[in-house]
Amino acid sequence: MKYRTTNIPEKYHSAVLKWSETYLPDIDLLLDKWEKFFPRDAKYRLCAFRELGMCDEIECGAMKGRPKFTRSDAMEPEQASHLLAAIRAQASTEFGSIQQHQLTLARAQEEEEQFWVLRMMAEELRHGYQMLHLLLEDDWSQVSNESGEDMVEEILSMKTGSHILGAFNIDFDSFVDNVVFCALIDRVGKYQLSMQKVSAYKPMAESMPQMLREEAFHLATGVVPMRRWAEKAARGDVTVTMDDMQRAINKWLPRGLEMFGDERGGGTNVRYGLKPMKNAEAQEQYYQEVVKLIRDINMRYIRARLSELSLTEAEKILEQVEADGEPVRGIGPQDLLRVPHIEFFRRRGVPAFRMIGTGGEEYADRSAYLAHLSRSLPSAYRSGRDFKTYVATLGKVVEGEMAREEAAREMPSLRRVAGVCPCSRSVRWMSEQTRPDNALTTSEQ
Amino acid sequence: MGEATIRQLEDTDLGAIVALDEKISGRYRPEVWEDRLNYYFRRDPEACVVADLDGDVVGFMMGELRGGEFGLEETTGWIEVMGVDPDARGQSIGRRLAEEMLAHFRQSGAHSVRTLVDEGMEGIGEFFSALGFSRSPIIAFAMDLEATR
Repeated sequence: MKYRTTNIPEKYHSAVLKWSETYLPDIDLLLDKWEKFFPRDAKYRLCAFRELGMCDEIECGAMKGRPKFTRSDAMEPEQASHLLAAIRAQASTEFGSIQQHQLTLARAQEEEEQFWVLRMMAEELRHGYQMLHLLLEDDWSQVSNESGEDMVEEILSMKTGSHILGAFNIDFDSFVDNVVFCALIDRVGKYQLSMQKVSAYKPMAESMPQMLREEAFHLATGVVPMRRWAEKAARGDVTVTMDDMQRAINKWLPRGLEMFGDERGGGTNVRYGLKPMKNAEAQEQYYQEVVKLIRDINMRYIRARLSELSLTEAEKILEQVEADGEPVRGIGPQDLLRVPHIEFFRRRGVPAFRMIGTGGEEYADRSAYLAHLSRSLPSAYRSGRDFKTYVATLGKVVEGEMAREEAAREMPSLRRVAGVCPCSRSVRWMSEQTRPDNALTTSEQ
Repeated sequence: MGEATIRQLEDTDLGAIVALDEKISGRYRPEVWEDRLNYYFRRDPEACVVADLDGDVVGFMMGELRGGEFGLEETTGWIEVMGVDPDARGQSIGRRLAEEMLAHFRQSGAHSVRTLVDEGMEGIGEFFSALGFSRSPIIAFAMDLEATR
């Protein structure tokens, strides 16, 4: 790989290091144990990578074939505005996920899995750093009154609850969340990075290859433990059950789907050459990839439980259980993972606040739907503020006090003014502030 | 049936690769492949490719770019693992996988590509020869430690 590396100016670099002392305090431990867990892997470096030798021409949209932009002030103002929003959103997600992972990192059962997540967090820090590099290297005054310093300060001051995208405002309840988040939410990240690799803004495109390389490991950080847990569950281990994983999938997949933006949008980004796919197309590809992932995990479960089966026999059992919903050789649908329906538990986009169950069934009665959600979601999540807010807003929609579109737009963001309690690692929600979530202004266009 | 697409290896290909290996070797060894994939994802994910035919993986090739092996200081591309579905052989899938990897190695600055071939495996040596590989003066030596205990 041919790339150049660079550091952001010293005062911002120091600010990121200072930020990591609070939210990634174990980074020194990671570096100390690097050789043990990642022998022969290049040692971690906090810097920005810019790939060399990438395509010079705009690869999609109305300007296809023209030279890529190297400065934002050469772009059309609306185009630059969309780009800036995307960079800020990307930066927010990178720093935001570290804050989420830190909450439950210490609860991992296996040291190896813990260090995988720790490495992933360190690389997310680098990804956030990469976005700060983009913000600081260019002049954004055409589309923003904020200075680079203000933008960096704003991003580094965000906490869980004030991040731009919804998935990064939900607390983790256990290490199962660390793992399932990597498998599902980082997978959305992979799509976003892949799409941004063809960005009409060359510095953005050049930033993506190294981030994508690192993201491949982040997905494995989620998927590998899930496969191992499924095998252990098949052998009777009760530490992480299939039901635990299912509930975490139900918690995160709807938020992952919403990260693509409204299903009707994305055309503006395509037209401006910032991304090659509209929201619905990327979302559908992502959903099908999750279907494939869950099928693989189910196959691991079946073959661990009935080790005498051949591949073909195991595949037949899986198909039969999924088709008939009846147990086959002692394996029933409740033993296996299921991908919730694409419209399940949505609060953004076309299906927002429709009462759709995990199987795609529509509920007419709010109580019955809430009972269904209660059976489908982790209890720790249901007892949190995020779910409470959803339930209250759903009530207004059902009572006709609020239109679904308005509810989707007005979902209050949760602000945590007191931050994380360092001794207990618990979360204290101190107040809330309602604001229109501008998270999807980029991707919903 | 259309032509297979060559694309980068994804984490969700693990099940298909385990199944393909089982078809070829008769052994079910998910942990082995999980470790391999995880290794390559950390090292050089773009150097690992699969042949995808209508959503089914019918071939794979994995390797990485590294330097310093056996005193070879220059950055070298290594092709390390490959497999093609027996039912899909004869469609130049191995060649197309290799060409994709070679392109990646070239673009990444490698000046040479190396591999090790088990002479007991029929057709592998011929496959690499047909791609333009030739025997290297560096040969593999091995010793059975159990036998010399």
